Amino acid sequence: MPIAKKLLPAAVLLASMTTLSYADDLNLFLSPSPSSTAIQSFIPAFEKATGHTVHVTEVPYGEMHQKLMLSVQLKQGQYDIAQFDNSFLTPFGAAGTMLPLDDKIAASKEYDISDFSKGQQDYGKYKGQTLGLTLSTEPFIQWYRTDIYDALGLKPAKTWDEFKANAKAVKDSGKGDGFIFGYGPNVSWWWMAMVWSFGGHLYDDNYNPTVNSPEAVAATQFLKDLLPYAPEGALSASSDDATIKFLSTDIGAMVQYSGYWGMLLDPANQKHLGKIGTAPMPKGAADVVHLAGWNIGIPADAKNPEVAWQFLEFVLGKSNAKNYLNAGAAAIGRKSIITDPELIAKYPYLPVLDIAEGTRIERYPQIRVWPEFEKAALDALAGIMNGSVEVKAGLDALEETEKPILAQENAK
Amino acid sequence: MSALRSSSRDKSIEVANARLAGILVLPTWLIIITVFALPILGALYLSFRNETLGTFVPARFIGFENYLQALVDPRFWESIWVTLILMVLAIIVQIPLGIGLAVLLHRNLAGTQFFRTVLIIPMLLTPVAVGLMWRFLFDADLGVINWALDQINVHGPNWLGWRWPAIMAVTIVDSWQSIPFVMLIALAGLTGLPKGPREAAAIDGARASQIFFHITLPSLLPIVLVIAMIRIIDCLKMFDLIFILTGKGGPGTATQTLGMLTYNTGFIFFQTSRAAALGVLMVILVAPIYVMWRRATEYAR
Repeated sequence: MPIAKKLLPAAVLLASMTTLSYADDLNLFLSPSPSSTAIQSFIPAFEKATGHTVHVTEVPYGEMHQKLMLSVQLKQGQYDIAQFDNSFLTPFGAAGTMLPLDDKIAASKEYDISDFSKGQQDYGKYKGQTLGLTLSTEPFIQWYRTDIYDALGLKPAKTWDEFKANAKAVKDSGKGDGFIFGYGPNVSWWWMAMVWSFGGHLYDDNYNPTVNSPEAVAATQFLKDLLPYAPEGALSASSDDATIKFLSTDIGAMVQYSGYWGMLLDPANQKHLGKIGTAPMPKGAADVVHLAGWNIGIPADAKNPEVAWQFLEFVLGKSNAKNYLNAGAAAIGRKSIITDPELIAKYPYLPVLDIAEGTRIERYPQIRVWPEFEKAALDALAGIMNGSVEVKAGLDALEETEKPILAQENAK
Repeated sequence: MSALRSSSRDKSIEVANARLAGILVLPTWLIIITVFALPILGALYLSFRNETLGTFVPARFIGFENYLQALVDPRFWESIWVTLILMVLAIIVQIPLGIGLAVLLHRNLAGTQFFRTVLIIPMLLTPVAVGLMWRFLFDADLGVINWALDQINVHGPNWLGWRWPAIMAVTIVDSWQSIPFVMLIALAGLTGLPKGPREAAAIDGARASQIFFHITLPSLLPIVLVIAMIRIIDCLKMFDLIFILTGKGGPGTATQTLGMLTYNTGFIFFQTSRAAALGVLMVILVAPIYVMWRRATEYAR
């Protein structure tokens, strides 16, 4: 019998086994991050427990959302689980990129949605549907140098005026720069948090921009008036630049996402181990928390949505939450985690993730055109912050620029 | 009769050869059509619609609306202005310096081999690595450049925080990486020039500078025009350096070239049809530059 004929049955059997095994494989779409690293650390245990094989694709942040949207639009069924930034929740929702998870969440004792405060339960919601589980809870918090503050008798600021006074005191003392924000390509994050904190909004319910309201003008002016107390390089610093400088040079305080805590724990990244404290973001006229962080969900064209949910429960369920945090992930704001004394001793910032009921929570603006809106704001803020444009004039011009951008939200 | 038979046999051999040549060239044409023509036609088609990556609204034909929107968008004209500024600065800085270095190296002075090797190193680095490295060098607080300026009592600017310092920063880095290329091409041109006219001029008493400006440089003109054209094209498509160095065209839109605006429109704003229209406009704007270059090259010859 020719060899080919002998091998044919074996080939058919192998092909069918391969097809069967690929049918139950899980494909993860992640972005290089502490959260991704932590998720991947649980893959061997999941594979052992369930017999499913898990494959991972890691895509840099700058391309991941476009790649995922294209993949789902083309109905390729490439990925069963996808990590995404909450700022893309609305474009994803509008494009039908992710599956609603509410039924699965309601039925899951392991996930236990009641372990989240109400505000955080809504973190992954678009028009009432949960499209992504919370993968990290990263509010803007205040970070400060305990050694510098103690030496000068300062306390973490409760209000923005106190924050400015602290920054001035540190700068005048010669112990370092007063504070740092990223006034460069990410300044929109601090600006919008400041606008909200001063009682303003970026747009109204009919998607008319309100970026030149009195509150927004006051907030922007305050942001600019802080600059003399920051290092000179703050004007062009990105968010990462600001954090690196805070961790490696003498700067009194910064306001930054809590998710950067991972950088802080690595001695290679910073010179001030044990000398950094955390506190809630200072308050303005409004009690606002700016909440950011990752979401994770199941793409609409996933081939194995049931197995995908099984994996999400396994990694992000309540019983694994401690292990997930200890695997190096940015914390998820479960009540059971942020009130655990053992975890608080190890991660002192956890209590600031406890967002009080009634606090206004502002996520990234939930509009489809947020990237274009944000870019227009960044373009305007660059001139305002370096002084080449007056605050009111710059915001008036921005108001006009944002009108046609926001008009797209109402387009049918 | 035999002449006639020979002629018709020659003709059929010619036809067979032409057919064979066509078949052999066919794979290349298929690649060119697939990789170049089809995407260009696809972009042209896309530019007349209102498609977005997230399909925010039902896609439909909208005629020239994307083009009209671009033409009235101040960001479009600003990006062209930025692109032109970077291009002109590149030509003004890189060509004289590159030719100057080539002339020096052509003299085969002591250390020529060493300097020739060292000078081409920047050319070998990837633009992303170069951008990252120079981003640290230009840092206002921790960068070596401002530290060095401090040593001579000069307060360096926040290079990446202001419009013109950022444009200068891009020009400096692009020149650092591109001058070696200009130098190498000019050096090859100098090496290929006949010595006769220069020697004759020297015998007639012409000074070195006269020989350079009246004989060497005019002879090099075709090569200089080629270099200029390549640099213009490189400037028009400069992307990765700006992406890394200034954070996608910052501060604000100070270094946002037309290429960066097209990227931002397509991949950040998800407006794929608008980005396609910007791409087509870029091609239309580049075409006259190519025509001017062809005419200049013919004139130089």
